[in-house]
Amino acid sequence: MHEFSIALEIVDTLQKNEYLEGVKSVDEIKLNIGKYSGVDKNYLIFAFQNLDDERFKDVLLNFISNDGDEITIQEILVD
Amino acid sequence: MLNSSRRRVGRSLSIQRNALETNEAIANKNKRLFGKAFVINFLSSPGSGKTSLLESIVPILKSDGFKPAVIEGDVETDLDKKRIDELDIPAYQIVTNGTCHLDAKMVNGALNNLNRKDADIIFIENVGNLVCPTSFNLGEDIKAVVLSVTEGDDKPLKYPAAFYKSKVMIINKIDLLPFLDSSITKIKENALSVNKDLAIFETFCKKNEKAGNIENNGLSDFISFMENNINSKVSK
Repeated sequence: MHEFSIALEIVDTLQKNEYLEGVKSVDEIKLNIGKYSGVDKNYLIFAFQNLDDERFKDVLLNFISNDGDEITIQEILVD
Repeated sequence: MLNSSRRRVGRSLSIQRNALETNEAIANKNKRLFGKAFVINFLSSPGSGKTSLLESIVPILKSDGFKPAVIEGDVETDLDKKRIDELDIPAYQIVTNGTCHLDAKMVNGALNNLNRKDADIIFIENVGNLVCPTSFNLGEDIKAVVLSVTEGDDKPLKYPAAFYKSKVMIINKIDLLPFLDSSITKIKENALSVNKDLAIFETFCKKNEKAGNIENNGLSDFISFMENNINSKVSK
C-alpha cells in the first residue's frame, strides 16, 4: 500500500521541479529501485494505474535494479 | 508494465532525483526539530512487543536520569499511547486511518504537539508492518527492527529491507524459545546475511519485570547502547 504514497511522491517530485510544465502526457518513467527499497514493482505499477492524474494514465514504468535501498527517478519521456 | 506496446515519445528528460524528495525534505526538518535528542524508529510486525519493550526500558532510562518521549503510530486507536501515558512521560499518538506506515509529514505534525522540550531520547513506534515503514525516512537517528522469536527465523530473509536499513535488531520474547522450533542462531545468521553491521540484542519483556532484574531479561546491553548514543549526541 505504501506504493501509492511513493507514486504520489514521484509525481510531486516531478511537479515541484517543473518537469511537467506543458506536458500533455507522461509516456515512460525510468526508476532506479534497490532490492532493499521495500517496494513491490507490481504494486507500484498498480498505484500509477490508479492515480487521479490523466497525464499518467498510460505511463510505462521501466525499472533499473541495484543492490541498495534507493528509489531514484532517472529519466522521464513525455509528450 | 503499463501499456508496454505504446511508445509515443516527444521529449526525454534526464532527472536523477530521489523519488521521495518531498518526504526527505520534511525528514530533514524533523531532524533539526529533534535537536539533541537521540531518536529511534522502531520497526516490526504487529505483536512483536514494541510497546512492551518501551514499557520495560522507559522506567530504567528515567531512573538513570534520562528524559524519554514517545511518538506512537497505529492504523487505529490510541491504545498504545494510553499504555505509555502510564509511564508519565510525554507521548503523542498518530492514527494513520488506514495508512500502513508513518511518513515524515505525520511525524512533523506530531512534533508540533509533543511536549519534547526536555526530551533527550525520542522513540517512534512505527505502524506494525515489516515492509512499508522501511521506505520512509522520518528524520530519526537510527531504525531498530524488533523481531520476536515466535515469528520464525526466516523473517530477515523474507523481509530484508527492514533488516538492511536498521542499525539495531532486537530479538524479543527469547523466554519463549524453549517452546518453539525457532533458532536464535539462525535468526542472527539470516539477519547478518542481509546486514553484516547489525547490532543485535536479545530481550524479553514480561509484564511486571522489575528494573532490578534487567540483567536477566537482556535489556541492560540495549539500555547501555541507548545511553551511550544519547550522551554522544548531546556532547556533539
